[in-house]
Amino acid sequence: MVEYKDIFDLTRAALLIIATDAPSYTILDVNNAYLSVTNSSREELINKSVFAAFPANPTDEVSKNIERTIFSFEEAVRTKATHTMSNYRYDIPVRGTDEFEERYWTTSNTPVLDEDGKVKFLIHSPSNVTELFKLGEREKAGIVALREQRQQLYATFMQTPVGIAIFRGPELMVDLINPSLCEMVGKPMKEIISKPLFEIFSYAKGQGIKKVMEGVRITGIPYKGQIMVPILRKRKIEDVYLNFVCEPFREIDRSISAIIAVVTEVTDQVMAKQKLEEAEERGRLAVDAVEMGTYDLDLSTGEMITSKRFANIFGFAEPVPRKEYVRVFHPDDYARRERAHEEAVISGRLFYEARIIWKDNSIHWGRVEGKVYYDADRKATRILGTLLDITEQKLAKEEQQKLIKLLQDNEQLFRSITTAAPTALWMSDENGAITYVNQTWIDWTGRPFEEHMGDGWTIFIVEEDRKRAGDKFLTDLNNRNFYEVEFRLKHADGTVRWCVANGKPQNNEDGTFRGYIGSCVDITEQKNLQQQKDDFIGIASHELKTPVTSIKAYTQVLELMLSKVGETKESTLIKRMDKQVNRLTSLIGDLLDVTKINSGRLQFNDTEFDFNSYLHEIIDDLQRTSAKHRLIEDFEPTGIVFADKDRIGQVVANLITNAIKYSPRSDKIIIHTSCQGGELHLCVQDFGIGIPENNLNKVFEQFYRVSGDVQHTFPGLGLGLYISSEIIQREGGRIWVKSKEGQGSIFCFALPLRKAVATGENVQRAPKELINAK
Amino acid sequence: MNVMKNIMLVDDDPGILDSVTVMLELGGYNVMSTDNGAQLMNMESDFPDLILLDIWISGVDGRDICRHLKANENTNKIPIVLVSASRDIEISAVKAGANDFISKPFEMNDLLNKIAKLT
Repeated sequence: MVEYKDIFDLTRAALLIIATDAPSYTILDVNNAYLSVTNSSREELINKSVFAAFPANPTDEVSKNIERTIFSFEEAVRTKATHTMSNYRYDIPVRGTDEFEERYWTTSNTPVLDEDGKVKFLIHSPSNVTELFKLGEREKAGIVALREQRQQLYATFMQTPVGIAIFRGPELMVDLINPSLCEMVGKPMKEIISKPLFEIFSYAKGQGIKKVMEGVRITGIPYKGQIMVPILRKRKIEDVYLNFVCEPFREIDRSISAIIAVVTEVTDQVMAKQKLEEAEERGRLAVDAVEMGTYDLDLSTGEMITSKRFANIFGFAEPVPRKEYVRVFHPDDYARRERAHEEAVISGRLFYEARIIWKDNSIHWGRVEGKVYYDADRKATRILGTLLDITEQKLAKEEQQKLIKLLQDNEQLFRSITTAAPTALWMSDENGAITYVNQTWIDWTGRPFEEHMGDGWTIFIVEEDRKRAGDKFLTDLNNRNFYEVEFRLKHADGTVRWCVANGKPQNNEDGTFRGYIGSCVDITEQKNLQQQKDDFIGIASHELKTPVTSIKAYTQVLELMLSKVGETKESTLIKRMDKQVNRLTSLIGDLLDVTKINSGRLQFNDTEFDFNSYLHEIIDDLQRTSAKHRLIEDFEPTGIVFADKDRIGQVVANLITNAIKYSPRSDKIIIHTSCQGGELHLCVQDFGIGIPENNLNKVFEQFYRVSGDVQHTFPGLGLGLYISSEIIQREGGRIWVKSKEGQGSIFCFALPLRKAVATGENVQRAPKELINAK
Repeated sequence: MNVMKNIMLVDDDPGILDSVTVMLELGGYNVMSTDNGAQLMNMESDFPDLILLDIWISGVDGRDICRHLKANENTNKIPIVLVSASRDIEISAVKAGANDFISKPFEMNDLLNKIAKLT
């Protein structure tokens, strides 16, 4: 039979029976297991206070084991339940030495109650947990180390400039991705993580990526590749080139659960490579485009490698040895080639152009360029370069040279012509300064070329004409008009001769004005002839007037006498005769006026007069001679005009008689007057045959006549409108016409209302004619 | 009945002298005529009531005769009408001291009116 005491002694649990005689807590009994774990003997412990038997551990001053034990005892007594103290350190003295052995304990204090329920004593049962504790500590350290390692790995993973991602499962779910890769693909991590690859990058589909990844996942064979993906970066789609490696990610059982992709961006390298390739391509194209041949000459051996094109330019189908090329150079160009080679060795550059004679004897031009390479001793070893066929250029240039020669010949011819011409020639720049006069002008004036430059030429014009000629030139220059003026020129022999100067405005290719090129023609003979003609007409018309005056006198006398004796019929006939005499007078007057205009002797006698009332007088007179047409006055107030009354009357009469003459089928003429912008306007409107538009600007020319149909030829010398136009212009006014063929014409003139106060004297409008130089 | 006025007509063209004489006589004037302008310069008596003087006569300018007569106190009262085929010289005629001017050819009434005003 096993005794209670035996169980107590033999159990493997260390047990101590402690009295509840606080604060002593006397040890009542101890079993063998306890003695064993604490290296103690029964005598050292029985009837001793537990704290005397196990004082505070000197190696563990901070653990407060005494206090913890007292607390545990008190708790067990108070709660009448087991109280456990866990994992505390209490080093055991190594008996016989001063040393202690490190021990960790977990101890339970269990109260044993008597019949009354009071705590009779405590069972104190420590278990040695040192091994266990130490193991735990090691484990903890291992975990920390592992954690640190993991953190390092993670940091590396996160910070490496290489993109890394782990794709899991057949959907290639993004399990992990580092910021570098996020940046490469231009998406934030949160948009990528835990999503299938092709959901994030739909554009990566169909590039074979899926197949590649699938291959790696199934076969476990890594894959290296490059893809170009369009990626939105900084709001711009960029073509990004990525090099990537896909490796299988294996579990411990070697099964593949994911794919690790390591990605590096190589866009810059790819671009650089592409650019290089493009540059090379361009270079190649450029060479092709200009059809350059290339060569590589080894100067030490004399061997030369040439391109096919090089051979072609030399007239060979395929490259041949160097001496073959040299042989076909044009003999005349050997020396030049030699010289070029000699210079090349010194300068480092080869350049020459030479003719090549092909087998068919055709001659071609080649331009050889090259760069000389030297060895360490500055000895030329090699020439690399190109050959260009410049036959076309050369031919074009020869053609050009021929043209230039031809032009030079022409220039010489032109010079001879201009020098020999009886016409003076001149040129001016855009400011009107003379830049050239020919020999003829120099001969005329007897002064050297330089004296005529700028405005020097004007000094040779006679003083009376100088201002007029100069002013006309400036006016035409400012308006870029054709210049024409007549003036008298002082010749070297002392004579004064008339000439007419013409100048045609010249433009540059861009349309800007460049100046004048002009001529001067001696018109003295014409002027003399014109003068003689005018003189003749003047004298003739004057002489004609004398008999006309007599005829008119007789006619009027006769008419008066006949009407006095009551011979009405005869009297009427004589009256008609008088009208015809008047017409004759008018024609003679016109002729005289024209000769005066031509010689500038038309004279004006300006006075102030009331225009409308004078106009009314003229219309009254004309109405008396015109039975058919009513002359309708449509007057607005005009006021006083300062002009030659008779001459203005002559113009008005001319316009009205013309209106009557050219409107045979109409019965009215309207005469309008008005004031507009400081001018007096007079218009004579008829409803007659009108003037064709192409003739409108000719009606004021000398000798212009309206041609009617066969039934209507209109009499007259065609001088009336010319004279009218001259009169109005010399009175400072304007004359014009509006007309529509078949509907009638409106002839108008405008006169300034108030001219400068004049003396009322004979006002001469044109320079006095002082002809003839001889 | 009024005494007929004497008019001196000077022109070097016989046709004019004749026709204008007829005209003036019809107008009621007594006409003396000459083709010699210089003759007028020496006139000392029998002064006419008006001189009708052509400017362009052979040997002498009508305007010079006019100026001479107007400068002479015996003759400066005699009205002078200068005549010319050219209208343009009216001004110079007036300058020469002429009382009026008429251009050839003229209307009979115009001439008679001018003369009537001056005599």
